[in-house]
Amino acid sequence: MPGYKLYYFNVRGRGELSRLILHYAGVPFDDFRFEGKDWPAFKSKMPFGQVPVLEVDGEKMLAQSHTIARYLARQHGLAGQNDWEQSQADMYVDCIYDLHGAMRTPTWETDPVKQKELFDKVNQDTIQPHLEKVEQHLVKNGGGHLVGQGLTWADIAYYAYFTTPIMTRLGGEVLTKAPHLKKLIETVGNNPNIQKYVETRPVTSG
Amino acid sequence: MVHYKLIYFNLRGRGELARLVLHHQEVAFEDFRFEREEWPKYKAGTPFGQAPVLEVDGKPLAQSNTIARYLARQHGLAGQNEWEQSQADMYVDCIYDLITGTRPIIYETDKEKQKEILQKFLKETVNPHLEKLEQQLIKNGTGFLVGKSITWADLAYYSFFSPMTERFGDSVIDNSPHLKKLVEHVANIPQIKKYVETRPKTTL
Repeated sequence: MPGYKLYYFNVRGRGELSRLILHYAGVPFDDFRFEGKDWPAFKSKMPFGQVPVLEVDGEKMLAQSHTIARYLARQHGLAGQNDWEQSQADMYVDCIYDLHGAMRTPTWETDPVKQKELFDKVNQDTIQPHLEKVEQHLVKNGGGHLVGQGLTWADIAYYAYFTTPIMTRLGGEVLTKAPHLKKLIETVGNNPNIQKYVETRPVTSG
Repeated sequence: MVHYKLIYFNLRGRGELARLVLHHQEVAFEDFRFEREEWPKYKAGTPFGQAPVLEVDGKPLAQSNTIARYLARQHGLAGQNEWEQSQADMYVDCIYDLITGTRPIIYETDKEKQKEILQKFLKETVNPHLEKLEQQLIKNGTGFLVGKSITWADLAYYSFFSPMTERFGDSVIDNSPHLKKLVEHVANIPQIKKYVETRPKTTL
């Protein structure tokens, strides 16, 4: 079994997807977290001065949150059953990356009134249109999952980013018109390995 | 023989990497381009209301990097093993972030403000990245980003930095001799050169 060390801030953010994949798959790893003030000590050691970074067997480093998550998903059977399914999963995770990106500007807005306006706009212009399409795809795929007939890292990604930051910022109502996705997110959340991890992980702001 | 149809604006933008992968590997495909005004006609038919989309024997795949990765993997340009594939993914993700960073610059109409935003972007985002990139290129020692031969990651860096230098000057990568050499190498690959000479001329 390879030795994994995942370097990231002590937040969920862009590291949580990889943590969830490893917990779901029952793969032990060193969940190395540091506080913001300790970041300068690690920054220069990272391939691109950013985190998360996955260190494998103490020697090789991999950067970029979704590259890490894809690598782990592929290593541990969560990437899809064939090349096409793997690409479908990649596609959904890219969509989530874009939704997360759209949430960032409103997140940094300090005026609470303006912030709410910006979040409402992201919801209306970006999230809801995306959900409309995802619902159609889920219905067409027929099995409750985004890709194929079993769980992939794409399902975990929607769980991860909808629980944080989309629902933490916009509330559960964001999924009112997306009952199939809502059910999928609940299904992932109810997985015993995920549940156990979520109950015991550090409580963080984001 | 699989039929590929790449559907995108008549721009380089986020469609060009997939085109470069296919041209580099000399794989035939339908390079379907439309003008901005025609987009509403096609939007509803795409998986997420966005382009590019790749149709593989009619089955749609969305998201620019997913498309380029799929084509790279199908046609031997993704890396020699799983670790190399992930290294290539990592580099392409870096480029994706840089592309996103150029959007405020491209859409800024005030020339003075545009210059300011560009300088900030180069100083705070591009240059620190290039510093690390040079170290990685030196460490890899082959001239390529990953392993011993070209991958879609090298094409991604060419695809981003070639237009950047055209538009904003060679100084963008002056302090990155290894990247500069890589970009020149890709530009001079016969199939890439031929495609670049004959492709539609577009602003982006």
